Amino acid sequence: MHIPDGFLSTPVWAAAGAVSVPGVAFFARRAGDAAGDGRIPLMGVMGAFVFAAQMINFPVGIGTSGHLVGGALLAVTLGPAAACMVMTAILAVQALLFQDGGVLALGANVFNMGIAGVVAGYLPYRYWGQTRFRRPAIFLGGFLSVFVSACLAMTQLMLSGVAMPGPVLGVSLGLFAVSAAIEGGITLAVTGALERLNSNWLRSAGKAGNSGMGAILIAAILLASVGALFASALPDGLEKLSEELGIAGRAASLFQTPLADYEASFAGQDWLRKALPGVLGLAAVYLVCVLAGRLISRRALHRS
Amino acid sequence: MHYIVLDRLSRQSSYLHGLDARCKIAALILFLVAVATTLPLGAGAVVGYAFLLAAGVLLARLPPAWMLTRSAAVLPFTMAFATMSVVTGNIQHAVTLVAKSYLSSFAVLLVVASTPLPALLDGFGRLGVPVILVTVIQFLYRYLFVITDEARRMWLAAQLRGSALSRQPRSEKVAAAAGSLAVLFARSLEKAESIHLAMTARGFSGRMPALVHPRATAGDALFLLALAALLWLVRFRLGGT
Repeated sequence: MHIPDGFLSTPVWAAAGAVSVPGVAFFARRAGDAAGDGRIPLMGVMGAFVFAAQMINFPVGIGTSGHLVGGALLAVTLGPAAACMVMTAILAVQALLFQDGGVLALGANVFNMGIAGVVAGYLPYRYWGQTRFRRPAIFLGGFLSVFVSACLAMTQLMLSGVAMPGPVLGVSLGLFAVSAAIEGGITLAVTGALERLNSNWLRSAGKAGNSGMGAILIAAILLASVGALFASALPDGLEKLSEELGIAGRAASLFQTPLADYEASFAGQDWLRKALPGVLGLAAVYLVCVLAGRLISRRALHRS
Repeated sequence: MHYIVLDRLSRQSSYLHGLDARCKIAALILFLVAVATTLPLGAGAVVGYAFLLAAGVLLARLPPAWMLTRSAAVLPFTMAFATMSVVTGNIQHAVTLVAKSYLSSFAVLLVVASTPLPALLDGFGRLGVPVILVTVIQFLYRYLFVITDEARRMWLAAQLRGSALSRQPRSEKVAAAAGSLAVLFARSLEKAESIHLAMTARGFSGRMPALVHPRATAGDALFLLALAALLWLVRFRLGGT
């Protein structure tokens, strides 16, 4: 899901940009450090590969088919830093040449798919890739890469005041889970086929034994993305709760700012209340990403 | 294949084509920020922004009909959310979504259609985007067509072998699709390897050499100032609060 321009409110796109710019710079430096041996042409060609891979359909059932999104597959083959570069490059080309996703919204899209999606897609493989849970880990990586980015995109849209009735939100969460499971299955099938061709194409995963850390990191990312989604839907929930408790009269002054006049009340305090949890959530996710990046880089140093 | 049209259009010559890429990127960001922060978006502001874009199309001598239809690529996504706004009874918000996304998409297209991609990316690089990212985008664009053609050939070959007619179970079809993706991956790796060898032989050191060295002129600064003044006028006089 690529968010076009015109959807995100100023605090949301500005905050997402403020997180993505240092994030991409960080991964660019790490990818640049490892850029020997023809890695730069490789990253470009792999971006083209992900574009072209969309032409190959996987039959899912009842007449529908899915295709590869690629975040987890890239992370498992090229490593998270290079995968972040490739995904960012893909998003930039889509925004500029294909009118798919906005330019101001590029910060949000890069954060969702190029940073959070890639890190979430890589973590399971990083921690369980060498254990007997290797195949579930690859599946989980594909699942998380799509699910986390979709939840984050939805959160940003809702924080920006895009109308999303409860049932629609429920249905779209279900759809996210289905397409995430499809991505997991495709990632698993393709990595299996790649391993049969040449097992060197997959990165060697870390040693087993630190799976507690992995579980904590994955739980943190899931909590941050899914939690932020529910937090952005919270004002409605609070309203309902206060009505049930019979304090609707008092609460009216606090929460009676329906999305209807969201735009008009932008100049007031309202947007702050809506944007703050989002900004805090983004900051939390950013922190997790930086910590994960540190950890991965330290491990990589130890190994070499 | 609209991007082939885009490639041709971006190499025309006009006043807008002649401006420095950095100047056009800055102008685009100014325009997008102005549109994004106009709240509420009144009819006056929409007309004002549309007028500026129309002036841009004239200055760049681009085909208006093609620009109008190509920018509409954003509308399916927008319409889904706009419909939801209408259902929840907020028509104003729906109109705002459609107008803002269409205006923004048009503005991006205007800049991309009046600047050749290498010059545009060079401009982004000069404005501080990491060199490695800019270089990866250039490689991606160059080999997009090569790898897509490869995928198309593989798809055609599979069709000729009767893949659409076969009644094999779904698990085998998935295995076949996974296998062809793995083969496409392998061919992409091969291609990357030979590109790397050829480029190293020609002295590539991780950065695309610029063929032209752009220099921002007073004319660029003047254009940017004029645009900023016009945007200020539309943003604060015609619309917003």
